[in-house]
Amino acid sequence: MPKFPGIKGIFLDEDPLIEQGSKRLRGIGIPDCGLKKSDLKKDESAYIDAKYIRKSPPELPEVSEPTVVRHFTRLSSWNMCVDTVFYPLGSCTMKYNPKINEKIASLENIKNLHPLTPAGLIQPVLKIVYDFNEILCGLTGLAEFGFAPQAGAAGEFAGLKIIKKYFDLKGENRKTILVPDSSHGTNPASSVLAGFTPVEIKTGKAGTLDAEELKKFVSKDAAGIMITNPNTFGVFEKDIKKIAEIMHNNGSFVYMDGANFNAFLGSVKVSDMGIDLIQLNLHKTFSTPHGGGGPGNGAIGVVESLREFLPVPYVKVGGKSTGVEKDSGEKADGGNKSNNRKDNSYSRQVYELSEDKKNSIGRMTPFLCNFAVVLRAYAYLLSLGRENIGSVSEIAVLNANYVKKKLGKILSGSDPFEEGLCMHECVFSDKAIEENGVSTIELAKLLIDYGFHPPTVYFPKNIHGAIMIEPTETESVRTLDNFIKAVKEIKFKTKKSKAVKSPQKTKVGRVNEVLANKQPVFKY
Amino acid sequence: MNNFRYFPNSKKDIAKLYRVLGVKDKKELFGKILGGIPLMDAALLTTVPKESDEEALYRFFLNIDSNIPAKNKTAVFAGGGIYNHFVPSAIDSLISRSEFYTPYTPYQPEVSQGTLFALFEFQSFIAEILGMDVVNASMYDGAESLAEAVLMAMRLSPANRDLPVSRKDDIIIISEGVNPSYTSVIKTFAGGTGVKIGKVKLNTQTGQTDIMDLKQKLANGGGRAPAVVVQQPNYFGIIEDLEELERLIHSNSNSGYNPSFIVSSTEPYSFGVINPPGFYNADIFAGEGNSFGNYMNFGGPLLGLFAAKKEYVRQMPGRIVGKTKDGKDRDAYAFILSTREQHIRRGAATSNICTNSSLNAVRAAIYLSLCSKSGFKEIASLNLKLAHILRDRLLSSGLFEPLYEGDFFNEFSLKLKINGNKHNNMAASEFIEKMAERDIIAGIAVSESAVLISATENNRLSDIEKYAENAKEVLNA
Repeated sequence: MPKFPGIKGIFLDEDPLIEQGSKRLRGIGIPDCGLKKSDLKKDESAYIDAKYIRKSPPELPEVSEPTVVRHFTRLSSWNMCVDTVFYPLGSCTMKYNPKINEKIASLENIKNLHPLTPAGLIQPVLKIVYDFNEILCGLTGLAEFGFAPQAGAAGEFAGLKIIKKYFDLKGENRKTILVPDSSHGTNPASSVLAGFTPVEIKTGKAGTLDAEELKKFVSKDAAGIMITNPNTFGVFEKDIKKIAEIMHNNGSFVYMDGANFNAFLGSVKVSDMGIDLIQLNLHKTFSTPHGGGGPGNGAIGVVESLREFLPVPYVKVGGKSTGVEKDSGEKADGGNKSNNRKDNSYSRQVYELSEDKKNSIGRMTPFLCNFAVVLRAYAYLLSLGRENIGSVSEIAVLNANYVKKKLGKILSGSDPFEEGLCMHECVFSDKAIEENGVSTIELAKLLIDYGFHPPTVYFPKNIHGAIMIEPTETESVRTLDNFIKAVKEIKFKTKKSKAVKSPQKTKVGRVNEVLANKQPVFKY
Repeated sequence: MNNFRYFPNSKKDIAKLYRVLGVKDKKELFGKILGGIPLMDAALLTTVPKESDEEALYRFFLNIDSNIPAKNKTAVFAGGGIYNHFVPSAIDSLISRSEFYTPYTPYQPEVSQGTLFALFEFQSFIAEILGMDVVNASMYDGAESLAEAVLMAMRLSPANRDLPVSRKDDIIIISEGVNPSYTSVIKTFAGGTGVKIGKVKLNTQTGQTDIMDLKQKLANGGGRAPAVVVQQPNYFGIIEDLEELERLIHSNSNSGYNPSFIVSSTEPYSFGVINPPGFYNADIFAGEGNSFGNYMNFGGPLLGLFAAKKEYVRQMPGRIVGKTKDGKDRDAYAFILSTREQHIRRGAATSNICTNSSLNAVRAAIYLSLCSKSGFKEIASLNLKLAHILRDRLLSSGLFEPLYEGDFFNEFSLKLKINGNKHNNMAASEFIEKMAERDIIAGIAVSESAVLISATENNRLSDIEKYAENAKEVLNA
């Protein structure tokens, strides 16, 4: 059995940069643009009206490059991250972020590409987005994806706007979206933003929605249902087909929150469940880094009848004869024949940015999409290929069930769904740890001292003191065993006096959030 | 077959997992979970390519990279919402630290102090640059940020919200100087509320928002205007007279409607030279921050900036980092005022935003630190000068004429004349395509015959010369 990673070490403290400055220091080499000395010296008022000119420059720190590098390197050492610790944050899919994807996203010309460069010069880049769409359609069974949404919540908003616009055009005034009470907070918030009233439906013991219960809520007011599947308990919605049928018979749509799509990747097509719309969080299921809270992408996928509503612009294959054979299914082997602009296949403009969608909900972002995120996700799928993609959900589900089963024995009576299997994550209540005098928040903070990032806690709300664990497929059994052992030690060996003081090995201890909110300090 | 390299469980480990669960294989596992929903065999999906080894994958993308305009030989003069600024190597080096790019949103402050502190410094620097009280820890991009600003203004006006407000008679007044994509995004976001969008014309001479027209629009709205939106510098590059606009907008309070003065910007680098919105009593600033240390990345991810006056902080969207103490009285940072947010308030939240542009914000914090006080001002000044030199050079050729005469920062618009004949215009899009063949991204078309052109510190005098000479050949052809 491996040792727990959390031992002790040095924490280097660091002052705010603004306090480290010295007059006229700087850390940037400003390009020499060849300006004449006389021009460089000229006052700004020689160019613009003096009344606009800023007389007091912003007080930025005055520091050199080494000072900046040491400062931010030290700061970084105060973070736990996926590369340093097991990070089983439920509903967040903290999987490994492949390094080759970062290298690809750092390619010089791609990262420096202006989004309004004439389409004829950027065919290979437009093709990436086009081909990625084809792959996602294959994996979900849906008809088309729009990439404008910058994150999961934006994807939800786009999907709901599509539903709204559909009914507006039909002249039907449907005001509500049905949302299970176990849903992510973004679901009701997005519903409101899209102009709907969210109606909460009580869920059963495991957060699952009962088809009979749903029927009570279904009326001509319901534009659709937003359902997270697997739900926020990590449990598959067994009634999903029935639910879809009930909604469809009512003329309503089924929107699936795809935040938990990792449970299905390469194993289940959402179209087989009767889903009409889904957002895919590329920063979860498709391995792009979370970045400490973004950026992401929440690609919105729809069935055939809703394609015309997707956001614009999008990548379209234009012209009558494209001269390019679809090479989907080909190995990404350098692609020389299809990606050389000088070659025939790109001699004519084939891919274009188009706004031509009859009933589009409109624009969501200034340009096409969070391209660098899409690029990484595309690279991820090309790496895995059709041979391995199904293993993602398989191992994710196996790992979660292993934790569920092993921890279920330690935290006896805490698994609200003891009998069945979970999917990609499992949830426990605080029942068992409370018996030993440890609360959920204390468990979370104690785990930090063992060298693990805590699971998601106190969500979903309908589980008392919820502890929600999502291991993902990129963790080994060895790591899971070590984590389980830590929970066991905490449950049986921790003294209350230690629990309330934890974490103790971190840069700072328990943060005073009351003070932070009472006398808010927003800046230096 | 060997295990795929991203999966740390060996075949033996996987067999163990199945054994522990008492399940035979994947078919049985998913069969038990899914009930009647079929299990798909992804290996049969022809739409998904076959697996690729790392080297082949890299070559594939390298090939794509070498078939688009090359950074080392292309002169980029296109702006229009995203600008070609210099990015120091230290940023890439620091941001490639896993501790920055692989964690989640800092919900556990004790193990996220690095990100939280960096975001706090980001907020501090941006607040300084904008002259505003409170900055949040980022939005997706300038357009979405601006749309959220409009929604926030609608929460602030009318002031008395005892009854649900019908928005049918409300009007959001937007200057035509606002980037048209931003206005489109506002429509996408606010459209559902029934609110109308009223556009204010630009003065045909200066290119600034027309004060008389704004006066009229404010009067026409019957006083029911929750917000007036302008952009600084505006879409055509022109510097707006925020002082005059502010006076008019803030004197217009009417039946509970105090129109919020919302200032946007796609180029906050301008505030190194010109007065920022905070100096003119702007209520909300919402714009783009990509210019600070971020690459263009074909348009995303971007960095939405959002700032407001302190008194409105509880209506702000997004995350805000605050400074506090830990149990031992040491400085510590945490998200504050979370009761505004979706994960607490659900349907009653100020916004649905969760994931934002945190990493881009950290890049901006690093960038602005590197720039330092003097470098920031100097680069801003360099932008101003290069753009003016370029404009003068192009106008002196006699092949262009100004679209507007107002003052500008690093971006301006010109109309094209073929052979110097103003009645014989070349389509702006055609000009741009022809210039692109000569490795010059000459700008973006803002009308049939006008081009929006920007210059940054990434353009040399020699690039400017190259632009002028090639333009001459293209337009005289």
